[in-house]
Amino acid sequence: MKMGKIRTLLKSGILLDLYFLKNNKSNLIAMLIWPYLMLGLVVGMGFLFGSPSAFKRNIGLDINPIAYFVASTVVMMASISVMWEVGGNVLFLRWLGILPYVIVAPHRMSITLVLSYVPRYLFFMFIQVVEFLPLLVLLEGVTAGVIKTLIMLLAVTVGMLPLLGFSALFASLLLMVKEESNILNWLNPIVLIFSGALYPTSLMPYWMWLVSRVLPTTYTVELARIIALIGSPQLAPITFLIGILMGLAVVYNILSYMLIGAGEKRAMKRGII
Amino acid sequence: MDNAIEVRNLVKRYITYERKGFLTKVKRIVEALKGIDFDVKRGEIFGLLGPNGAGKTTTVKIISTLLLPDGGYAKVLGYDVVEEASEVRKVIGVSLSVERGFFWKLTGRENLKYFGMLYGLDGERLKKRVEYLLDKLGLKKLGVADKLYEEYSLGMKARLSLARALLLDPEVLILDEPTLGLDPPSARALREFLVKLAHEFNKTVLVTTHNMFEAEMICDRVAIIDEGRILSIGSPRELKLKVADNMALEILILPSVATNLDKLVEVLREKTDVTCSMISDVNGYRLKLIVPPNRVEELTSISVRLLHKLGCSVRRVEVKEPTLEDVFIKITGKKGF
Repeated sequence: MKMGKIRTLLKSGILLDLYFLKNNKSNLIAMLIWPYLMLGLVVGMGFLFGSPSAFKRNIGLDINPIAYFVASTVVMMASISVMWEVGGNVLFLRWLGILPYVIVAPHRMSITLVLSYVPRYLFFMFIQVVEFLPLLVLLEGVTAGVIKTLIMLLAVTVGMLPLLGFSALFASLLLMVKEESNILNWLNPIVLIFSGALYPTSLMPYWMWLVSRVLPTTYTVELARIIALIGSPQLAPITFLIGILMGLAVVYNILSYMLIGAGEKRAMKRGII
Repeated sequence: MDNAIEVRNLVKRYITYERKGFLTKVKRIVEALKGIDFDVKRGEIFGLLGPNGAGKTTTVKIISTLLLPDGGYAKVLGYDVVEEASEVRKVIGVSLSVERGFFWKLTGRENLKYFGMLYGLDGERLKKRVEYLLDKLGLKKLGVADKLYEEYSLGMKARLSLARALLLDPEVLILDEPTLGLDPPSARALREFLVKLAHEFNKTVLVTTHNMFEAEMICDRVAIIDEGRILSIGSPRELKLKVADNMALEILILPSVATNLDKLVEVLREKTDVTCSMISDVNGYRLKLIVPPNRVEELTSISVRLLHKLGCSVRRVEVKEPTLEDVFIKITGKKGF
């Protein structure tokens, strides 16, 4: 694929989001307050089960629980966002009757879905991470706050790479079936459970643990935990996880490139585009 | 290459599952296309005319590379729609439904810009093309180019849909019921635009419709399709001649005072050997001859000569052909509910 085509495809994604934000002010406001709403929910739930000092005691480190939850919230939101947006985009386009016009575009659909989504992801994630910067600076000081913000940005960017391919696989599955929304509804929470977002993978039965190893979200969840504990230097595991995520990025993106074509063909055979 | 579109023995079957109980389903195979053949010449408007469920949309979707056939093949400008789908996509413009297919929270201009970029246009070229199409399709004149799509009427949506199909200035346009649900002025404007596209800009237009009037007005040739089979192909006139057993030849005359009207009818019957009757009209007398389609010209000339000889002034000659609707009903054998 020529660079010029990639550029226009990326630009089309940017253009679409800018238009949406321009024409939907409430959408823009929702986007800006969403991270703090999520954080409020996570922290609020956490405080229901114990005090900040109990939290520090439980995890054995002297860190601010809010700073911890900021990092985990950001990375988890990023993971969910990629899965929902790339997978859900197929549904959205199908419901609007736009999917046929995406298919007749002179690019492979997997490329269109992924590339036109990348700018949106980077833009929204950048906004959301930067939104937490004042809070982190307030809680941890300028240097630690900025470092944590930068590492979070790196994590959500690297974490996105395998998730794009993984989510495109999702999209191809959604293309093949008719009752697609059901799949997205149950598959997403299952992926999060298997990834250790709600329950540590180390405590899972062996078969679940095995499944968790092939899910990119497992490593983004771990990355979130490590970043949250960045007060104590743990750069080695971060580098290790980033390496795994990069490897998975290659595997999943190649797989999705191959399989979404099959999904598209199957859908076109059955006449459900 | 004279043909822009070539369809041979195209077959499509859909598998559906009919629910029989809470857990049981029965598999059903629906034959949507049972081996259809047709060609669309370059620069012509070709209509696929058929009732609901005839196979029109299935055909259009296969030619648009959106549906895979189970047999046969279709080619657009020589490219196979299955094997060379990406090449086909570069030369076609598609409009499948005038009601859907756009982002509701974007304006008409923004939607076109987005799809333009998706189709590989950029910069000044994109801007010029979008402005040109907004202008040509009358969306600027209507003052709605910068209105949200959700505020558009059906007529405006149809115009925008056609504008998108024309973004890449394709050689072949594939339009599925482009005037469905439009009010008469919008439908007429769209039809006029399609005729202009084909005849002035040499675009090939494949259009589906079940509007007989529309097919008769704009199509150079029509294929009547029903239950997955092409029943007849030809120009609207050819199709009419094919099914017409007889045509009505109406001649408006002003007889001279001395003309014996009863005798005139008798002589005409004698000389032409067809049924002839006469009724008075506010403008004179209307002679009606029931003539076989292959003798229309011959009998018109005989009658006019004879009428002049008998001292009548011929004011108007009209041949009343069957409508395309008559043709359609006769060919498909469908009379409604």
